[in-house]
Amino acid sequence: MLSLNKLTKKYGSFTALNGLSLEIEDGQLHGFVGPNGAGKTTTMRILATLLKPTSGTAAIDGVDVVRNGTEARRLIGYMPDFFGVYDSLKCWEYLDFYARCYRIPAAERKKMTERLLELVQLSEKKDAFVDSLSRGMKQRLCLARSLIHDPKLLILDEPASGMDPRARAEMKTILRTLREMGKTVLISSHILPELSEMCDSLTILDHGELVFSGSVEALSEKMNGNAPLEIRLQEGCGEATVETAVACLKELPFVKEILQEGTCVLKVRTEGGEQEHMQMLREMVSRNIPVCDFHRAPMNLEKVFMEVTGDA
Amino acid sequence: MLNPILSFSATRRMRSFKTLLIAASYVIVMLAVTLLIMGRLFGNEATFHSIRNSVTCYQAQMVTQFILILLIAPAMTSGAIAGERERQTLELLLVTNTRSFRIVIGKAMESFAMLALLIVCGFPVMCLTMVTGAVTLTQLLVGELFLLLIAFASVSVGVFSSTLARSTVASGVISYLILLAIGGLTLIPLLSDFPEEVTSIVYDTGSLAALTPGEALKMLSPVLMCNPGYALIALLHGQTGMLTSIMKYRETGRLLCEFRLMDKAGGETLALISCGIILVLAVLLLLAAALLLRKNSLKPAKRTK
Repeated sequence: MLSLNKLTKKYGSFTALNGLSLEIEDGQLHGFVGPNGAGKTTTMRILATLLKPTSGTAAIDGVDVVRNGTEARRLIGYMPDFFGVYDSLKCWEYLDFYARCYRIPAAERKKMTERLLELVQLSEKKDAFVDSLSRGMKQRLCLARSLIHDPKLLILDEPASGMDPRARAEMKTILRTLREMGKTVLISSHILPELSEMCDSLTILDHGELVFSGSVEALSEKMNGNAPLEIRLQEGCGEATVETAVACLKELPFVKEILQEGTCVLKVRTEGGEQEHMQMLREMVSRNIPVCDFHRAPMNLEKVFMEVTGDA
Repeated sequence: MLNPILSFSATRRMRSFKTLLIAASYVIVMLAVTLLIMGRLFGNEATFHSIRNSVTCYQAQMVTQFILILLIAPAMTSGAIAGERERQTLELLLVTNTRSFRIVIGKAMESFAMLALLIVCGFPVMCLTMVTGAVTLTQLLVGELFLLLIAFASVSVGVFSSTLARSTVASGVISYLILLAIGGLTLIPLLSDFPEEVTSIVYDTGSLAALTPGEALKMLSPVLMCNPGYALIALLHGQTGMLTSIMKYRETGRLLCEFRLMDKAGGETLALISCGIILVLAVLLLLAAALLLRKNSLKPAKRTK
């Protein structure tokens, strides 16, 4: 469905996007994650034909977005990270206007407008003025707008930003429905856990570069391999014991980093695998260091994000 | 299918109380000017049916509307594209399949329709001058057509500025500056005298009489014809002989030459040519706006969420 090949965007000497290559399958809900300024919006704006890349190509269903913008615009529904709504317009008029911009015939427009208002749970607000809607409702109306021409690919730039938990939950339900409808959805956020709950696959960007692309499970597995070992010593073992343990660990060549948490917990980063971990434990026990717990610290997605984007 | 931008923008404008207020103000200004001039010209002794005075009133009405349109149009059109940009709805329009030219035309036509509504609202007031029979319905309709053309040209300047500017205020300022520049720069030919061979013909009654309208037309400056004010004077002279008395009092000078040649070429013919030039320039401005729309909108903009 979506294919990016060495996509690059430069603003003068600043590189917003650096050679991004990516493939997204049909019908996937793909998350685009990264801190502010990572290049998410730039990529999405290129796909929405609102920006021209400095180099590289982007194709939607085989249609090049730069060379054939008009055709590409038929295939995409774009929802930016702002509302973009008109006052003095009723909800149905707002959708009807965009439907007319896509030259949808009158009979079809009416049906489409009603169906979409139902999908985004705004049927009751059909005749309400847009400026009277809450933030969450406006976001949902904007989502309905981006669906008005039945696009194959939906590009949603931080659709849940600024929403309360209830509105977020409603948005997630709608996105799941869209996936069931067979739409390919590209959704961005700077909150990884938020996306990991609903996405099939993820792409993590940082400073315009691809850091990771794959399934949520693959990301967790990859990052858990790098998680530190957590060693808990006996409660009240004393400073001297902790110092002995640190000295013991420092002697081991594969230990990279030792961090003390609290009075008797050490977090150790190592090179190597299970053999090295066994050696470490053996060495500590042989020196009578009172090790009570020895395990790999689980990484939550927030930590994964910080780790991947280098802000840990 | 009717241009969606036109119908949608018109719906929004007509829902605003401001629209009614503008239309009412326009008619009130027209009425005030009409009554003021009628009162001063007709006085106690002169009768309301004085033919010459009705003509003067018609001229004043045309000039008033001409000025009003030039003042209102930039304010009305400044938000056409810049307002969309401020509201962050322009990107949403650009990602639809609506072509830039359709967006520009839709916006221009919507503002033009509003100005046309004002002109039509002022028409009954203009009809007061028909009471004496001095001004015919045809003349009034030609005057209305001329005002519609000026409205269209002013709107095209406004939409062009709106495409360039990042804010509605900046767009309004650019529009007024462009209109001032057009008005000022096209008057530059008046600063220099006509060549000797032209003045010798114009000052000599015999030679001037022998001059054909086509020859007189060739002697006139095409730059001056781009000036909407010039077009208005030419039209009013063609319709009512407005410059005849001025020509009587002046003996020499560039203006006298200009007016005599205008008279010879035919005021209405000159107005028609001038309107043609203005129309072409207006269409070119709209085309330029359509070309610039996507280019100018794709620049990265600073936004607040």
